[in-house]
Amino acid sequence: MYNLILFLVLLSLGYAVGQFAERRHYRSILQREEKLNSLPAIASRYPPTEPHYQQALVTGSTVVSVDYFKRFLAALRNLFGGRVTSYESLLDRARRESLLRMKQQAAAMGAAMVFNVKYETASISKGRGNSIGSIEVLAYGTALIDPRG
Amino acid sequence: MKYRNPRIPEGINVSDRHPLKELFVLAGGALLLLFLLSWLLGQFGGRLARLLPFEHEAALAPVSLLRNDAGPELQAYLEQLGSRLSEEMALPDGMQVHLQMSGDDTFNAFATLGGNILLYRGLLEQLPHENALVMLLAHEMAHVEHRDPIVQIGQGAAIQVTLGLLIGDPNLAVLGSAGLYTQLHYTREMEREADTEALVAVQRLYGHIGGARELFNVIHAQRDKSGREEMPAIFSSHPLDAQRLEAIGDLARERGWSETGETTPLPAAFGRWMSEAAARAAKAKEEDALKPGLPISPASPAGRLHPG
Repeated sequence: MYNLILFLVLLSLGYAVGQFAERRHYRSILQREEKLNSLPAIASRYPPTEPHYQQALVTGSTVVSVDYFKRFLAALRNLFGGRVTSYESLLDRARRESLLRMKQQAAAMGAAMVFNVKYETASISKGRGNSIGSIEVLAYGTALIDPRG
Repeated sequence: MKYRNPRIPEGINVSDRHPLKELFVLAGGALLLLFLLSWLLGQFGGRLARLLPFEHEAALAPVSLLRNDAGPELQAYLEQLGSRLSEEMALPDGMQVHLQMSGDDTFNAFATLGGNILLYRGLLEQLPHENALVMLLAHEMAHVEHRDPIVQIGQGAAIQVTLGLLIGDPNLAVLGSAGLYTQLHYTREMEREADTEALVAVQRLYGHIGGARELFNVIHAQRDKSGREEMPAIFSSHPLDAQRLEAIGDLARERGWSETGETTPLPAAFGRWMSEAAARAAKAKEEDALKPGLPISPASPAGRLHPG
């Protein structure tokens, strides 16, 4: 009985806090994406040769963990299959946050754009089963800085 | 060449389906599956358990839980009623019923594995005549004849073991749990069939079924007195009293049975037998209290049977 109550409390707490945090995060992401839109992040490996840019590695990394509600929903999804929608928003936020952090770093260097942008994802809960459901999303690229300023 | 990042519309990588809606659909589906699985397992376990020969069922009987407080005279009287009923009910060969009586004042009686039937003083004392006692015995013996105890335990065991394995926490000691034997909860169907069988036996024995109605009246009165919480064991909520009495009336009309008739009184010494049993129970309880760690007596609070 106590377990059930604990479960329900965790579930509603996870839902309430998780939803609140997610909404707030998305608002912040949209706002910062708008602000940094003038700094393009390009996937191409061939940067423009003119002018002669200085190059620097820029990275942005985010570590995310799921809330109790999302984990429960995903566990239920395991039974039936289909889109694990509860994790989709989480990973979308992590990717966009990482890219933004990378761009922020580039902007601080005065870069004109970032080339050869790539993502890496690493699970940091390997071997621990369900105890931690965390992953890291790393975005990195080559910042091109115009030496003329 | 001009480089720029176009604005990508929202909602491509993320589904806008409400998480609560998803939760209800998924959890509902999972619960439905669980119920379906439990039901199927129960059916399977019950069928399997029915195949167990009666002699082997006796080996599983919770003998240590059944302390008999009946004196030799009462025991002989009960056994004589029991053997008359066995004949009328045509119990299969080898199906031996063991009647036992507890001196506790619990208002209860139940049949459990191995043909063991336990009657409590609390219920026996309130029976007005032998006919009602015979109806009670016949009802419990019908449970034994229908193999209801083992079927119930088989169903419970199949569900518990399989779900336990699924969840990853198998509680395979399913047959070791003491409460299981005394808290058997028969289905409405089982109770109804036991009622019918018992009525047939009572009719054959006495030529009328007056005793049956009396028994239900006693139970009904007890229920009124103690409220729904303290449901007496054998005639618990399945089927409800009113429906049950109605079913008796229907059956009597259908088969042309008389619902009234001359009743046989209980033996004159019945009251004395009861107080002797009560004294024996009190003594046993005292001894139990001196020896900690002994198996719980069936009259402990767990002895409230078929709750709900």
